[in-house]
Amino acid sequence: MKRLMAWMIMMGLVFTGCGNEAPDTNDSVKGDGASADESLTLAVIPKGTSHDFWKSIHAGAVKASQELGVEIIWTGPEKEDDRQQQIQVVQSFVSRGVDAIVIAPLDNVALARPVETAVQRNIPVVIIDSGLESEAHSSFVATDNKEGGRLGARRLAEVLGNKGKVILLRYAEGSASTENREAGFLEEIAKHGEIEVISSNQYAGATKESALQASQNLLNKFPDVEGIFCPNESSAFGMLRALQSAGKAGQVKFVGFDTSEALVTGLKDGEINGLVSQDPFDMGYLGVKTAVAVIKGETVEANIATRLEMITPENLNNPDIQELVKPDLDKWLK
Amino acid sequence: MSSSENTASLYSQKSWRDHLNAFGPVIGLVVVYGIFLLVAPSSFHSLYNTKTFMTQAVIYGIGAMGMTFVIISGGIDLSVGSLIALGSVVTAMILRTAGAEEIGLMLPILASLSAVVACALCGMLSGALVSYMRIVPFIVTLGMMQITRGVAKGLAGQTAVNTSDNWLGSMMVIEPQVGKWYSVAPGLWVMVVLLIFMTILLRRTAFGRYVCALGSNEATARLCGINVSIQRIWVYTLCGALTGCASVMQYASLSLGDPTAAVGMELDIIAAVVIGGGSLNGGEGSVAGSLVGAIIMAILRNGCVLVGIPNYVQNIVIGTIIVAAVGIDRLRHKSN
Repeated sequence: MKRLMAWMIMMGLVFTGCGNEAPDTNDSVKGDGASADESLTLAVIPKGTSHDFWKSIHAGAVKASQELGVEIIWTGPEKEDDRQQQIQVVQSFVSRGVDAIVIAPLDNVALARPVETAVQRNIPVVIIDSGLESEAHSSFVATDNKEGGRLGARRLAEVLGNKGKVILLRYAEGSASTENREAGFLEEIAKHGEIEVISSNQYAGATKESALQASQNLLNKFPDVEGIFCPNESSAFGMLRALQSAGKAGQVKFVGFDTSEALVTGLKDGEINGLVSQDPFDMGYLGVKTAVAVIKGETVEANIATRLEMITPENLNNPDIQELVKPDLDKWLK
Repeated sequence: MSSSENTASLYSQKSWRDHLNAFGPVIGLVVVYGIFLLVAPSSFHSLYNTKTFMTQAVIYGIGAMGMTFVIISGGIDLSVGSLIALGSVVTAMILRTAGAEEIGLMLPILASLSAVVACALCGMLSGALVSYMRIVPFIVTLGMMQITRGVAKGLAGQTAVNTSDNWLGSMMVIEPQVGKWYSVAPGLWVMVVLLIFMTILLRRTAFGRYVCALGSNEATARLCGINVSIQRIWVYTLCGALTGCASVMQYASLSLGDPTAAVGMELDIIAAVVIGGGSLNGGEGSVAGSLVGAIIMAILRNGCVLVGIPNYVQNIVIGTIIVAAVGIDRLRHKSN
């Protein structure tokens, strides 16, 4: 009997806490541009929530939601390699019955079926950031990742003076966006005959920690490396830390992808020679705008490319680039 | 705690108190569900959403059934998460031996059986190491967790193993026939069938009684003529086999073999068993209770997403419930 009572009390405690909190901590944002669309609710599902990149997407999505007067719910898996959890998030939003889903799929295959289920149940899906092997979604809003990889290769070749030994540290298996960047990089770097790729089969893994370890191992294995390319924020960060701890930062030419405070500091300090920058803010913004257009029955492009920019120590202080590097997130994300 | 009392209570007729205790997890389930009914949007109590979280509970639920036996026997198995990844990779690799058109009916069955056998063998190895090398289960299975994770990654060549479409991949589709109320994921039926078999195995067979005796008081069990070492190996083998079933469901749910899947899932599964009334001191627990534990956790995850509660609050809530469930268990022992 005691157990029974205790169960009920504990459950009650746990949940009144969580119930009361829910309205303020849930990440849903109501647009203030009140209109007929106010009843629309969109789920925006990132690959993870810890990287700065996703915060910018979030901010862009919030901006679009305020302009259009719709509500967005922002929920993602905790780890960027947890396919199962992202599937469950999609399934939950499908059964909740949101009006549309904007998602950055963690895996180009595993997420296909949940997305198809959503479309079957009349919930349009817009894919952002990474591709999905499916015909079901309405539009794909993303960076031209291959072009981004090429951009990185050109910059690395430029700072290396078109010769030297380079390493490509890959990000993680099954992530279409980074695989395209890697392919674009290798394709372009091969055009510079005197540059030799000495390693291109190592993966950084999903976390900064695993990226650091992989980078340290790589640097130990190839002490004579002259140039490095990393295809995303976490792998670039891990490589930067590894270069710093090995005392090689600034000596080895290094081009990364995406920006964060730590990476931009590295750029300023001359430890990074270039950062290919996507515009995640634009991606979140266009993702939500496109989804709302789909709900309204407008025709949308199947592929929508977002902005790409090569940030170098030289152009870092241009106002245009500053906005890309330091978007005013606080303005959008309380 | 007095273990002889536990042994006695397992054999004697159940008192009203025992019956009530058995309902503890169910009451927890009702309370959790009820609270979400109040705070979540109305779609929470839709039939489709119920199917959603029940389907999401399948992998945890089947894993928890195997873990129940291990925990009742006084052991623990930390390798379950890695075994789920290993099994999903084995399933996918066998399915990949055939082209898209020739997979047919039999190959997925063969693939599933291979995954179950592979996981059962790993379990058997853990059991043998615990029994004959006299290493504590925590350490043995901690080692197995790393070993099997490594084997899974090695087999898969460090990447996800893609497969062509086949019927096994549809086992975890929430509503296979769209719009039909009776249509549920086939995986859910697998879970129900396993529930029935495992409950009978635990409550109505000699093996089940040995498992309970082993966990209540190993010395007494040995004196009663039970071959403790052999029985323990069977317990871990059974846990491995059920984990293999869970791994097939993991494959079905992702439609690919993912060597990095289910990291840390063993802890969620242990939590489900504990919420369901299993005692880490051994001798206590039930298959149905553990399943209810798994469902409670699935509802929590699903409900939190529907309400829009961020991840970190979900972690806090689930952690609190685990500690609360064990705390209540302690209270109960005191009052007994």
